[in-house]
Amino acid sequence: MSSLSCSMAAWDLSVTVVDLGPDAPPVTLSVTSDLHVGGVILKLVEKTQIKRDWSDHALWWEQKQKWLLRTAWTLEKYEIHADARLLFIPQHKPLRLGLPNGITLRLLASFSSPVFQTVMGICRMLNIRHPEELSLLRPVEEKKKKKDKDSAEEIYDLTEVPLSSASRPCLYNGMPAHFADSPQMEAIYKMLSITQPPPAPEVIAKQYRPASVVDKAHINGRWLDSSRCLMQQGIQENDRVWLRFKYFAFYDIEPKYDVVRLAQLYEQARWAILLEDIDCTEEEMMLFGALQYHISKVSQSEPQLMSTSAAMDDLDSALQSLEVKLEGESSSASEMLENMTAPELNDYLKIFRPKRLTLKGYKQYWFKFQDTSISYFKSKEESIGEPIQQINLKGCEVAPDVNVTASKFLIRLLIPAPEGMNEVYLRCENEQQYAQWMAGCRLASKGKSLADNSFQSEIQSIRSFLAMQKTNAGSHGNAHAADESINTHSLVSPRYHKKYKAKQLTPRILDAYQNVAQLSLTDAVMRFLQIWQALPDFGLSYVVVRFKGSRKDEVLGIAPNRLIRIDLGVGDVVKTWRYNNMKQWNVNWDIRQVAIEFEGNINIAFSCVTADCKIVHEFIGGYIFMSTRSREKSDTLNEELFHKLTGGHEAL
Amino acid sequence: MDDIDAMFSDLLGEMDLLTQSLGEETPPPASLPSSNQEVNFSIGFTDLNESLNELEDNDLDALMADLVADLNATEEKLAAEIQGLKEPSLPASDLPPPPPKGLSTHPSSSPSPMRSSSSSSSSDVSTPASSATSPLPPPQSTKPSKEEIEAQMKADKIKLALEKLKEAKVKKLVVKVLMNDGSSKTLMVDERQTVREVLDNLFEKTHCDCNVDWSLCETNPELQLERAFEDHENLVEPLLAWTRDSENKVLFKERQEKYEVFKNPQNFYLWKKDKKALKDIKDKDKELLIQENFCGTSIIVPDLEGVLYLKEDGKKSWKQRLFQLRASGIYYVPKGKTKSSRDLVCFVQFDNVNVYYGQDFRSKYKAPTDFCFVLKHPQIQKESQYIKYLCCDDARAMNLWVTGIRIAKYGVSLYDNFKTAEKKAAVSAVWTNRSTPSSSNASTPSPTIKAKSPSQANGHASSPQPGPLSQNVGNTLPPPPPPCEILPPPPPDPVPSPPPPPPLAAKNLARPPNLTNRHLPTNFPPPPAMDNLPPPPPPPPMDDSPEAPPDFLPPPPPAAGFGSLPPPPPPVSSLPPPPPARFGGIDQSLPPPPPDPEYLPPPPPPVFTGSGAPPPPPPPPPPPPAPAPVAAPRAAVRPSGSLKKVPPPPPKRTTPPLHGGGGGGGGGGGDFMSELMLAMQKKRGDH
Repeated sequence: MSSLSCSMAAWDLSVTVVDLGPDAPPVTLSVTSDLHVGGVILKLVEKTQIKRDWSDHALWWEQKQKWLLRTAWTLEKYEIHADARLLFIPQHKPLRLGLPNGITLRLLASFSSPVFQTVMGICRMLNIRHPEELSLLRPVEEKKKKKDKDSAEEIYDLTEVPLSSASRPCLYNGMPAHFADSPQMEAIYKMLSITQPPPAPEVIAKQYRPASVVDKAHINGRWLDSSRCLMQQGIQENDRVWLRFKYFAFYDIEPKYDVVRLAQLYEQARWAILLEDIDCTEEEMMLFGALQYHISKVSQSEPQLMSTSAAMDDLDSALQSLEVKLEGESSSASEMLENMTAPELNDYLKIFRPKRLTLKGYKQYWFKFQDTSISYFKSKEESIGEPIQQINLKGCEVAPDVNVTASKFLIRLLIPAPEGMNEVYLRCENEQQYAQWMAGCRLASKGKSLADNSFQSEIQSIRSFLAMQKTNAGSHGNAHAADESINTHSLVSPRYHKKYKAKQLTPRILDAYQNVAQLSLTDAVMRFLQIWQALPDFGLSYVVVRFKGSRKDEVLGIAPNRLIRIDLGVGDVVKTWRYNNMKQWNVNWDIRQVAIEFEGNINIAFSCVTADCKIVHEFIGGYIFMSTRSREKSDTLNEELFHKLTGGHEAL
Repeated sequence: MDDIDAMFSDLLGEMDLLTQSLGEETPPPASLPSSNQEVNFSIGFTDLNESLNELEDNDLDALMADLVADLNATEEKLAAEIQGLKEPSLPASDLPPPPPKGLSTHPSSSPSPMRSSSSSSSSDVSTPASSATSPLPPPQSTKPSKEEIEAQMKADKIKLALEKLKEAKVKKLVVKVLMNDGSSKTLMVDERQTVREVLDNLFEKTHCDCNVDWSLCETNPELQLERAFEDHENLVEPLLAWTRDSENKVLFKERQEKYEVFKNPQNFYLWKKDKKALKDIKDKDKELLIQENFCGTSIIVPDLEGVLYLKEDGKKSWKQRLFQLRASGIYYVPKGKTKSSRDLVCFVQFDNVNVYYGQDFRSKYKAPTDFCFVLKHPQIQKESQYIKYLCCDDARAMNLWVTGIRIAKYGVSLYDNFKTAEKKAAVSAVWTNRSTPSSSNASTPSPTIKAKSPSQANGHASSPQPGPLSQNVGNTLPPPPPPCEILPPPPPDPVPSPPPPPPLAAKNLARPPNLTNRHLPTNFPPPPAMDNLPPPPPPPPMDDSPEAPPDFLPPPPPAAGFGSLPPPPPPVSSLPPPPPARFGGIDQSLPPPPPDPEYLPPPPPPVFTGSGAPPPPPPPPPPPPAPAPVAAPRAAVRPSGSLKKVPPPPPKRTTPPLHGGGGGGGGGGGDFMSELMLAMQKKRGDH
């Protein structure tokens, strides 16, 4: 009718409706140029005569790679003519999403909104706060195996989850309501929020590991553009992308609300360590290994992490704080009594002091472990009198020297004295005895007595490490013994698989483990993240660039607070520029060059080799955006600002 | 109420006993008893007796005053504890009256556990003591509820007794601290006291400017080492590592490098930049650096890397190596390897070592330069292969490394310490400023506190922490150090004289706080409103702070005594009444650590500091202080200080005074007390 009132000529527009089937011919509509997109869709739907919910569908202009999302715009305004190939397709389509923990989900993601918003939607569904820190990455192609058995990979389906636009999902039982629908969904949520068990060493070994800074730089060429939609970036329905933390500025981590976020962050950090994506020293690697071991152990034993409802949470925490209060103000008398009548250990052990006697040999004495001291006597009968010697272990160093198969259970003590450190070896007869005395020594070295409530758990952990050594020793080809035992090779990067046998690794990890054994799951995860964040190279995303006026490729490291220039040949940091000294940065999109001006008339310019300059631009703008976040406005994400800072010429 | 009274009478009894015992022991010469004293207790002296005799008279007085204050504090603490006991137990059992009733009905029984513990005070009595109390309750077992009450009472008593026992195990040291000017001060330090608390104590005694650089250091002449204790450390523990014949000293002095990293973070975190750029850095960039490195999820250690000389084990030669500092320790690059992390060899981790400055190592160890630092286990006191000696090219490098190591070792505690120190300095800077006209102190307001102080002051005022504070009130107020002239100081009626150092002040004026706090524990909950204030009874923190000054005026008057100003009548008249409630109310608006001083100036800090600390601030905004403008600041500082000193050393032992031969755990404090008394009397006699 409107076409009649106007004097415009009607023409034929053909639209492919995918839902009609692959072979169905395009639907042809008679339209005029002043018809708005909404009108086109209305006509189209009428013509298909299919009754269904079309609300998620929109028109996609194939030649121009663009969505016609403004329904009030006329065809003329969109400059659409009869030759346009339009597709009528849903805006949300299934996507296979690889998570940091290695699990693949299938879920509905927006293919029409900028990737930034798509990620927001995904994070909302998965209950991850601060989606601005994450983004999507094209996966590294896996080498196709001859036998395509990997295609049988398990995929967890979330496509049934209704799309919601609420900014905060309502929680039910501590998880978003859609995960509480069925046991299957609940299981998926568990997968998201609980850390995965350590991977088999072979799995680590076969994963791609960057061998150099340049290798590490290549991965950053794969980030999707946050200001364009998936369709525009060639991502098809059911394609695979990775969800990863991209900006290493983790804001406002709150274990109570960030169960999934923390779990995934931990997984990403753990894999970064295991695959040597970030370098660390051997000592640090052992500590990371110990923490992984501890985290996997504790998360198996306290899986009810998020199964309590919010109300219960409050009650729990109220009760807990009450308990703490009571404890603090008046621990029960009996408890105090117990503390004061400390337990002891008494046994025959053998002692050897390498410095004192040149004669090598262990002598047997009757030992008494009390408070933080060890005393020894000639025999049990004489233990009432004065000891031959009393050694206070506070502040001493304790190291194991154990070989289970050879029945060697030595405790090496380095005991501080005004003159230096005295070396003492204690030899235990068996595992049981060793675990007890070792636990006692470890506690005493930290100034805790045997009465400390961590004594039993310390014994337990020592025993489980001994068990580990046992299975490692005899496990080659044998059936894996106790399922709780872990191959220590699962906890360290492949470099150490070559350097140490699993049983050599065990005592080293155990050694590091003693400092973390008492941490709760959350604390252990946080500690892992802290140590990761304290590594010198933490937070650096590399891009190979060519500086203006330079003839060789160099590496630009982009960190949360600075840019660094790295010499490729030597690997040294040549120069550091901090963002807070940055006056402006520009991208010349024609010659694809990034130019940055810093205070003090410092100008740098470079072109990017391993990544599009849009990616570099987005990194810099993104980090500046991250630094603008503040507590007052943390609830609302300033999307507009993000696009302004990262969008480049397309932002307008 | 009754029970508290009962408690008090018990305590009084104890105090009486104490005085008696002192009296009895007066005759024997002071030198005798101390001979079997554990050397432990006096650091810096070979023998306690000697140490006491060596003390200056006024030192002795001061020490005595402290000790007596300690006793009072314990008493208050106990009272507060009882209160504390009651409160949680009320909701727990639905019998509201149990503990009070119990305590009041068996006044005689409650002392007994305490006595038993106190008189025998050895640490091993725990079980006997508790079993001894068990027979007590049964008297009337009519109703089950009564039994419950009894049980509860019994439990409480046992607990009390045990706590006292624990208390008795607390180690105390007499520490002689050397001042800048060569003089020394002697303090009693409790095992649980942190260096910060001791510093605050010293601030009070010395009237220094309290800037953040003041430190307590230990020196080891044998190894030629020096190290500043960190404020959060307990002082006693490292001192116990000293050997008997140790010549180590504790120094009280300003060390610029202590918190330099927070004043000029760029010198540490951007040390590679050229010097000019570092000098010209803007304040907001400094703040950003602190933010980035100390306020994130993880503390970031400056990335130090450089060639240092390492003294080779047991040899005289020094060898160069490329070292790297990481959060996890110091590493070096082995010969022929790259600098990549995985090739680094761990040189030392920080769990078991402290970092020390070496002094004059060039002559002692033939070091290439005198800029040396050392890493060693705190227990090691003599030359040993386990000590690691490192030598830097210049002082800057040395400070970079030592500070970097401290950041790696202490992490966020270091920053927390700094914030606390800064607050303390800000408060005293304000006061010193105000008092500059009259004060004789060399009060140089520290330049370091500038932009930050206002916000902190505000933060203070608005952070109410009622719970802990109410407790604090009990501990805090008692100490106004009682007189030295009056030897047996029964706490209830002290004739307070001014705190040790300053001359004579109006004595009666020191009293009001003392009196008020006396009642505090009992009725701090809902206070009677003050007479001279408008109805709104306990005003919110912000309201409170402006009013704070009047409350604290009571203390000022003493100062007025030495000033020429007559004690302004209006405030004084309103002072005596200051109902306990107000103390409580005020306290609540403050954070615990340095509680009192803060609210003295609350309104001023923003004003002064905002406009720049140094210039003598104009008439202070709050009208109240006006009456005694000149004298008030000084006087106020002192009382607040003395108040403050006490909160830290919470429970002191009451047991020792009763010639409690401190058993194994390190009792003996009792002997010490009486000895001290003896020594004093002896001295007095000599005069």
